[in-house]
Amino acid sequence: MDLKQELESLKDEVIAQINNAQDLEGLNKIRVEFLGKKGKLKSILKTLGKLSPEERKEIGQIANKLKDTLEQLIKEKETVLKEKALEQQLKNEQLDITLPSKWIKAGSSHPVISTLIEITEIFKSMGFSVKEGPEIEDEKYNFDMLNIPKDHPARDMQDTFFLNNGKVLRTHTSPVQIRTMLKQKPPISIVAPGRVYRKDADPTHSPMFHQIEGLLVDKNVTFKDLKGVLQIFLESVFGKDIPIRFRPSYFPFTEPSAEVDIGCTVCGGEGCRVCKGTGWLEILGCGMVDPNVFKAVNIDPDIYSGFAFGLGIERIAMLKYRITDIRLLFTNDIRFNKQFKGIR
Amino acid sequence: MKAPYSWIKEFLDIDLPAEKVAEKLNETGIETTVSKFGEYIPNIITVKILDVKKHPEKDKLFICKATDGTKEYEVITGASNVEEGKIAVLAKEGAVIQGKEIKPVNFGSFKSEGMFLSLEELGIEESSEGILLLPDDVSVGVDANDVLDLGKDDIFEIEITPNRGDALSIRGLAREIGAIFGIKRKEKFPLVSIAEEIPVNIEALTDKVYRYRGIIVKDVHVKESPWDIQLKLIKSGHSPINNIVDITNYILLQEGQPLHAFDLSKIKGKIIIRNAKDGEKIETLDGEEKELSSADIVIADEEKPLAIAGVIGGNNSKIEENTTEILLEAAVFDNISVRKTAKRLAINTDSSYRFERGVDIENLPNAQDKALELILKTAGGKALGEKDLYTKPYTPKEVKLKEITTKRILGELISKDESAEILNRLEIPTKTVEDGVISKIPAFRALDLEREIDLVEEVGRVKGFNNLKTTYPSVSIEGFDKSDEYLFQLRTRDFFKDNGLYEVVTYTFVSEDIYNIFDLPVPEIRIENYLLKIQSVMRDNLAVSLVGVLQENMKFQNKDLSIFEISSTFFKDFEEIRAGILLSGKFIDGFYYKKGKEEFSTSEKWDFLKAKGIFDSYFSLLGIEVEYKISELPYLHPYQSADIYVDEKKIGYIGKIHPKKASTLKVPQDTFLGELKLRYISRDIEDTRHPEDYLYEIYKNKPAVVFKELPKFPAVKRDLAFVVDETLELDKLIKELKRSSKLIEEVKLFDIYFIGEGKKSVAFNLTFRDENKSLSDEEVNEIVKNIVDNLKTKFKGLQLREG
Ligand SMILES: [Zn+2]
Repeated sequence: MDLKQELESLKDEVIAQINNAQDLEGLNKIRVEFLGKKGKLKSILKTLGKLSPEERKEIGQIANKLKDTLEQLIKEKETVLKEKALEQQLKNEQLDITLPSKWIKAGSSHPVISTLIEITEIFKSMGFSVKEGPEIEDEKYNFDMLNIPKDHPARDMQDTFFLNNGKVLRTHTSPVQIRTMLKQKPPISIVAPGRVYRKDADPTHSPMFHQIEGLLVDKNVTFKDLKGVLQIFLESVFGKDIPIRFRPSYFPFTEPSAEVDIGCTVCGGEGCRVCKGTGWLEILGCGMVDPNVFKAVNIDPDIYSGFAFGLGIERIAMLKYRITDIRLLFTNDIRFNKQFKGIR
Repeated sequence: MKAPYSWIKEFLDIDLPAEKVAEKLNETGIETTVSKFGEYIPNIITVKILDVKKHPEKDKLFICKATDGTKEYEVITGASNVEEGKIAVLAKEGAVIQGKEIKPVNFGSFKSEGMFLSLEELGIEESSEGILLLPDDVSVGVDANDVLDLGKDDIFEIEITPNRGDALSIRGLAREIGAIFGIKRKEKFPLVSIAEEIPVNIEALTDKVYRYRGIIVKDVHVKESPWDIQLKLIKSGHSPINNIVDITNYILLQEGQPLHAFDLSKIKGKIIIRNAKDGEKIETLDGEEKELSSADIVIADEEKPLAIAGVIGGNNSKIEENTTEILLEAAVFDNISVRKTAKRLAINTDSSYRFERGVDIENLPNAQDKALELILKTAGGKALGEKDLYTKPYTPKEVKLKEITTKRILGELISKDESAEILNRLEIPTKTVEDGVISKIPAFRALDLEREIDLVEEVGRVKGFNNLKTTYPSVSIEGFDKSDEYLFQLRTRDFFKDNGLYEVVTYTFVSEDIYNIFDLPVPEIRIENYLLKIQSVMRDNLAVSLVGVLQENMKFQNKDLSIFEISSTFFKDFEEIRAGILLSGKFIDGFYYKKGKEEFSTSEKWDFLKAKGIFDSYFSLLGIEVEYKISELPYLHPYQSADIYVDEKKIGYIGKIHPKKASTLKVPQDTFLGELKLRYISRDIEDTRHPEDYLYEIYKNKPAVVFKELPKFPAVKRDLAFVVDETLELDKLIKELKRSSKLIEEVKLFDIYFIGEGKKSVAFNLTFRDENKSLSDEEVNEIVKNIVDNLKTKFKGLQLREG
């Protein structure tokens, strides 16, 4: 066989093998076997020396072309096989992406604390700052300086827990008003969120609950301002169209005093069990700071006026989340707590 | 208080629907609901009971004959108060009683043609004993609906605020309603004559009685009251007793003036109003013996106390069926004194309720004379003596309301003319002056209206707060602060929530028992009048509460629990806001996975380092460096618990629950507890200290973050391994490493293995860097050599592992 023929048959053999190559490893073998330093093409070319210069030149050209062609083919095949190999690798890495994840899931808020914070934030955005006070209080701050004298029936409005150290568990957040006004001169605009305590034993009350108290003292603060602030607040909690009414009431530390009702959010005012058929829900108490309170903290009631308001958080949280039993709020059955995902 | 509309109408010409009246009362400050008195029931008539016999076959049943005047009925009843000659209400066939239709029924061999009704069966009272027996001024054979006024009258249920004692009567409500609607109140004054035959001896030895008027009535007949009096009492929620007692109750309801009637024959000598003696005893009308103290006021004769002033009468002088002579008392006692006594003795009566809220001292004779008039009319007899002890007659206080004040407080000017009009309608005599009005406060508002501001409220409420427009205050910027502490607390809360913990809210009062289980001293602050013993100790840590939450959840097989609470703990002079966590069981409830050689579990259980990791992550958020030292808290695992310090200031702890405590509490062994002291809240208003061992203070006071140039020269890394004592706390070694050269940038522990014989091998990856130049190998070798030498002197037995 002459060299030309040999090269021709080598070409056919290599092309056939390249076509049959299944993987990169096989392809590499082919490259080494035919095009390597000790490969078949090299060994064929070694015999070139025996030929005439013309033949050598001709065969040399053919061989080089063959080499280029084969290398090109191998490269092309390589691309194809690489693609295939990647495909296989990806396939091997297949995972059921619906499997449960392996990371901690964020926890959630307690509905009462969430509501307390939301309400605090609303007042903060109106320019009130947050003040807090102790939960164990002097009767002086919890009652006396708030114009609730001892042996006045007004003390019956709040059943008090008495402590063995002569103090009480605060029955409302109102002592924070006193503490603030003793320290700070007007203008004052604060809200005081916090825990409060009353000795109520029936199933619709909890002996510990949460309140937020608001106080604004300055020159020229009026009842109309109080209405304005509370209207903005109630609308941002219960929606723009919520009906609001102010009923005159009595609190020793405000005069005039009022209770504020909103249209029942459960029945829309038709009357239901929650609103006891009245169509209204009592939501907060408020009024103009009583001059006696101002006198107790050395603020001149002839120069300054102010308003105060207070509301119970549990009631609002229960309305908001349609919680039916107040006791659920403090049992901490985690099946209850886990329901409140995505709230502040 | 229940107030029948029909009764109010005796004082007011008004024909507005009751609902409208209730609505207006609500809008002007008296909480009112309204409901109908009973409901119409078909086929009920009044009958006279002719005959009562015991049922021969059935115990406790009676066979009665009754007549409606034309027809006789045989009625079988179980009511033991059934009585021959009395008038009762009969439900005939076809009547529907409490949802059941009445049909003739056999009891043994006798047939009952109907049923005698009780107030409960009539739908008037929630529960009642015996059948309703009507007095003989009721006609027989008439529709009982008409007799009882069923389904017609409206009953107002009134709840007053403590300042409105004046509205605690039919007459007072009529005055209020009249003022609201601008209707003038009417009143029929009593016509009585009292003979001056018998002197009435009354002596007051205390200044707590402001007025005391006694009237002696003789030859009275105690019997049942006429029906119209009884019905009004029933409508107002009272039970009729006898004519004398009923009339005192009737006048109390109508006039708001408590009255008391004594059996005069049981009084020895004169009436003395005096302080009780300490330990003095009295049996009250309800049959209970009460021990009195010298702070209580009693009405006494020369031998014994007869009544507790303003609160309740005594049994020793009460009106009985055979009473023929009475002393009718009307008095006004000091409201605070009555309140103290009623509170201490835990007796709340209609009388004490009214005295505490103020009784109209000027209306006393009017009210008492109305009672006398009724007594003479219904019980007969003659009034033979009277004495009115009224040493300091009421003088109305003058209060001025300036026009401008209404504007200053309400935001809207109410003209002096309008104010005067409103106040006069409220029966507060008021005249206008140049710059406002002057009111003479009548006795019935004496406790409530004392100051200008009180009159502002009066005109404001009657005008209606709903009619005031709304404005928005201009909040001054001076009063504003950022509320940093609050924000810090919020951020902390968000952190724990974001990291998989659920927020809980627990009671701040706990049981003594939990402290005993925890081996902690029981805190000193306790609730004296606790509701439950297990809620009587004010906690000084959160762990005692959080463990309770775990126990609660164990009831529902929820033992995987990751919870936190930010709340108060209580100490002698201050309170601490803490963040507490409880971690138990798994925090990722995953699955087991195996595929070829690959296998793993995605579940994660809490262990000490993970629990500590939560806190470390939080400190990293704050940018605070802490130090852990073994904790000695008795409820924690002695070797898996740590106190947390920042610069020697203890700010919390983290640890595994002690296995013994876990067993006692029946909670999982793998339960971890941790607490951080966040904030200090002083109870003393003068205390302006900011103790430093609180995270908020540490966070607030830490140096401000200042940008540092990024390194310009390369770092050199070296791994070093040491053999040290097994018990050595590696944090000490790491700290020493860091201290030993200022060119050390980072020390990272990457390997620990226990060799045995009390030794362990620990390997660190050290990073060296000089800010000003590249470090050469030789330089680093020199540093390492110095470090090792230094460590060898600091840690006995430390060896460098070559390798
Ligand atoms: Zn409703």
